[in-house]
Amino acid sequence: MVGLQHYIILSAVLFCIGLYGALAKRNAVIILMSIEIMLNAANVALVAFSRYVTPQLLTGQIFAVFVMTVAAAEVAVGLAIIIALYRQKEKVDVGEVDLMKW
Amino acid sequence: MIWALLGPELLLAIFALAVILLDLAVKQKGVLAVFSIVGLLGSIGASLALWGTNGIALNNMLVIDKYALFFDVLFAAAAILVILASTDYVEKLKGFQGEYYALILLATTGMMFMASTRELVSIYISLELTSISLYILAGFLKDAKSTEAGLKYLLLGSVSSAVLVYGMALVFGTTGGTHLGVIWNAVKGLNGIADNPTLIMGIVFLVAGFGFKIATVPFQMWVPDVYEGAPTPVTAYLSVASKAAGFAVILRVFFEAFGRAPWLSQSWGMLFAILAAITMTVGNVVAINQTNIKRLLAYSSIAHAGYIMMGLAAVGLMESQLALARSGILFYLAGYGLTNLGAFIAIIAISNNTGSDLIDDYKGMVRRAPVLSLGLAFTLISLTGLPPTAGFVAKIYLFNAALQSGLLWLVIVGVLNSVISAYYYLRVVKTMYLGEPASTERLSSSGPLRVALTASCFGVLFLGVLPNTVIQVTEAIKFLVS
Amino acid sequence: MEFNFILSTIVFLPAVGAIIIALGRGLSPRGIKLAAALFTLLAFGLSLSAYFQFDSAPGGPLFQFREAASWLPSINSQYHLGVDGLSLPLVVLTTFLGIISVLISWKINLRPREYFAWLLLLETGILGVFTSLDLLLFFLFWEVELIPMYMLISIWGSGRKEYSATKFVVYTIFGSALMLVGMLALYASAGTFDIEALAGMNLATVHTVIPLAAIFFLIFMAFAIKLPVFPFHTWLPDAHTDAPTAVSVILAGVLLKMGGYGMIRISVTLFPTVAKEWAPLLVILAVGSVLYGAAVTLRQTDLKKLIAYSSVSHMGYVLLGIFALTQVSLTGAALQMVSHGVVTGLLFAMVGVVYDHSHLRDLSKLGGLARQMPVAAVVFSIAGMASLGLPGTSGFVAEFVTFVGSFTSKAFDGIQFYTILGVVGIAVTAGYILWMLQRTFYGPPQEKFAGVLDAGGVEKVAIFSFVVAIMLLGVYPAVVTGVLGAGIAPVVRLLGG
Repeated sequence: MVGLQHYIILSAVLFCIGLYGALAKRNAVIILMSIEIMLNAANVALVAFSRYVTPQLLTGQIFAVFVMTVAAAEVAVGLAIIIALYRQKEKVDVGEVDLMKW
Repeated sequence: MIWALLGPELLLAIFALAVILLDLAVKQKGVLAVFSIVGLLGSIGASLALWGTNGIALNNMLVIDKYALFFDVLFAAAAILVILASTDYVEKLKGFQGEYYALILLATTGMMFMASTRELVSIYISLELTSISLYILAGFLKDAKSTEAGLKYLLLGSVSSAVLVYGMALVFGTTGGTHLGVIWNAVKGLNGIADNPTLIMGIVFLVAGFGFKIATVPFQMWVPDVYEGAPTPVTAYLSVASKAAGFAVILRVFFEAFGRAPWLSQSWGMLFAILAAITMTVGNVVAINQTNIKRLLAYSSIAHAGYIMMGLAAVGLMESQLALARSGILFYLAGYGLTNLGAFIAIIAISNNTGSDLIDDYKGMVRRAPVLSLGLAFTLISLTGLPPTAGFVAKIYLFNAALQSGLLWLVIVGVLNSVISAYYYLRVVKTMYLGEPASTERLSSSGPLRVALTASCFGVLFLGVLPNTVIQVTEAIKFLVS
Repeated sequence: MEFNFILSTIVFLPAVGAIIIALGRGLSPRGIKLAAALFTLLAFGLSLSAYFQFDSAPGGPLFQFREAASWLPSINSQYHLGVDGLSLPLVVLTTFLGIISVLISWKINLRPREYFAWLLLLETGILGVFTSLDLLLFFLFWEVELIPMYMLISIWGSGRKEYSATKFVVYTIFGSALMLVGMLALYASAGTFDIEALAGMNLATVHTVIPLAAIFFLIFMAFAIKLPVFPFHTWLPDAHTDAPTAVSVILAGVLLKMGGYGMIRISVTLFPTVAKEWAPLLVILAVGSVLYGAAVTLRQTDLKKLIAYSSVSHMGYVLLGIFALTQVSLTGAALQMVSHGVVTGLLFAMVGVVYDHSHLRDLSKLGGLARQMPVAAVVFSIAGMASLGLPGTSGFVAEFVTFVGSFTSKAFDGIQFYTILGVVGIAVTAGYILWMLQRTFYGPPQEKFAGVLDAGGVEKVAIFSFVVAIMLLGVYPAVVTGVLGAGIAPVVRLLGG
């Protein structure tokens, strides 16, 4: 039987993968993807908590919808900035972004 | 009624959209700045009209109490000064002036919501509204440095908001609600840190997520790069308004949801006290070696975040000191905001002429621009915390609040840090007053910029000489707690 | 709330002058100097009139010309000014040196607008310290003096001016940081910043957040650095040597007195029990300062450095007088502060005159100047005599009263011994002063000084005013002793003596 615990463990694992990717990867697009994974980890947790802790309320699920929406906006801006960077450097490697001390 | 309660925010949102439309229609772009300032003044007017209302809006998610309105006025005033100071700068932006003003207004709107919301979902959304606007503004110049600043700010900011959301999810999971009142009701029934690991983890994640906004150690690494690379008016805005908004949210969330249970508040109070000591020390020590004035002020802003966190620690450690510590934080934010804006405005004027942010290029500046130098020197003296400035009173007042909560050790750390900070602030003053100027050419600055500099310097002096006028207001401010 | 604007006017007149000078774009350099002279003269006149109105009869009100206005009610801090017999002479001294220093600076031509603005701002800061009756206000004025001093030394100074200015700032700011912590701790314990209220509440019985002695020493450190007390004195010779003449005059004349004044007004008055307990240590420090200062002075060959080190020695007497803790010794200490202010002010002014005309300060190269500069030689000699305590000058009265007071003190066993050690300092002083005068003015006239002129018109006005003050205090000390005594008596009552 799959219970709350399993979802939370899944979300924790996803979160850790995302965090690792965001901190360790050099490619800006991959970092953005890792951030998406972190947000989705939060979404899994929110929906699971909503289902198991407050089954009569929809707050958690609505929160998840908002997070997805905001994430889309964030990625849109992120990609725009990455394209601006690409036009200047022909690369999207954050290791190359070193005009200032990182 | 609800539209009236949301007046300050809605007005700004409408003006933000209108400014983009207006951009299409007018050739004379100066109109846009005037238009935005009119919107901000209208918003300030609406806030003042609402003063003392204590309303609740949108299904209890927003409170319009004096606390929120104080921040509304603070953000709008900061935005006005920033826009005045941008008039020279926007020339570089060619076709995108409308968007520049619109984004500033939108960021301000987001911050205003941050100050009045008491529900996790709306906190997250208003925080993102602010952040995303600021990401774009940081990269607005589209040159190499600015893009780099935008990218770093966006990536690290997004990571931190993901951490924040995860923390919110954990808090939601353990308490069953996203409204601060509901969370408090659940926390009231709990006892002991060891028994509630998930909640504690959630709170730690919240500290990390918000800590990024206010730039506390160890979430401060983005600050120098972003401050250096971003357009200077945006940097000014980031260092003042964005930081104030972070503190506005933290104080409300931590007090209302977690602040009235001693077992919990003692712990986060101590956490903030330790973070405060580390943050101010790191900020001040690293600032000593900076050669770029924007990076210097970046580290200085980290240090000041440390000082302000002393107020948070005071609230956490002794709930009875809430009124004094909150008033101390509010006064400090107002005084620091005016001071830092003044400093950045002077820097904008100087770098518009010299094209450089290096402290070495400020040599003998007093002979090329006596008024700008005096303004910058005065604001730096205020940042140091020497009288007769806002910085002096703000520090004494906040230190006193910390002392009343029994944080003598932290006050000593704070005072010693002020001594360290005197070294690098006064070094800039010294460079300006003692160095030999590289050229004798006089600096020019635009009228609006001079107005903004004069306004902020007089504000700093006023708060330093007659602080009680403002302290009376900040002491009258209360949370509307459910 | 009584409100009598005379003190505020005295304190802020120089600051108003500074603002007018800084912003008055149309002023010529001469106009700037005249404006500075006018404002300082007005302040001096007002302070003199306050002095003559002061009621020093026993049983009269302690603090007079009081002004109180709410400033920061939430932390119980007031804008509270007032003077008693202790501070009023120092206020007069400050305004006196204020006008004199403007006169001495008449030849400044480098960035005169900024120079006089800073000089006047400095005067406001010092006056504020002497008149504040609220600890926070005291601290505020204490800090105001910092930036003007830094600018004055590092822009208009000579030699290693930036190094000296920075050293001055570092020492001062460390002292004031400690003082701030002490004051905040005091406030957290007693709930007020008001000096009168604190003096009246017997802090020994109040539960303090840290031990009372710790608060005492946190605050005392700032004063000890400022006075300066050996071993915290090293900033002083540097600052003096490299500062412009007028700033040296102010620095020696009144800035150091802020330390002594603070010790009496705050350290002794608010913490009488701690002061009694620690008096032996502090008296030993005092004698250490006297002897060390005198010994080091003997070895100096630079005129300015010589006088700077002699200040360390003379300020030792002040410390000795204060912590001998008797009516007579405290009066002597206060008198010594006033006297030293005038005497050393004159000495520095004379060094300025000699240096301006001969461009030399090195004793090994000077000599025989009495022929070219007879007036300067006479005045310098008078100042020297006053410094070594010749009867008939202010120095004699001050030192004599201090020694009598300390010798008869019962503060602790063995104070007589330390007093006698202190008297030895006088002999050394006589040595270096006479040696200095002899090296500078007497001996065979030298060829290279053939064209050197004597003191000029404005300079004469300045130095003769000093001479008059020295003589007046020496011949008729009652001009100030009555007033000083009225200020000291209540302090001694607190000490239980």
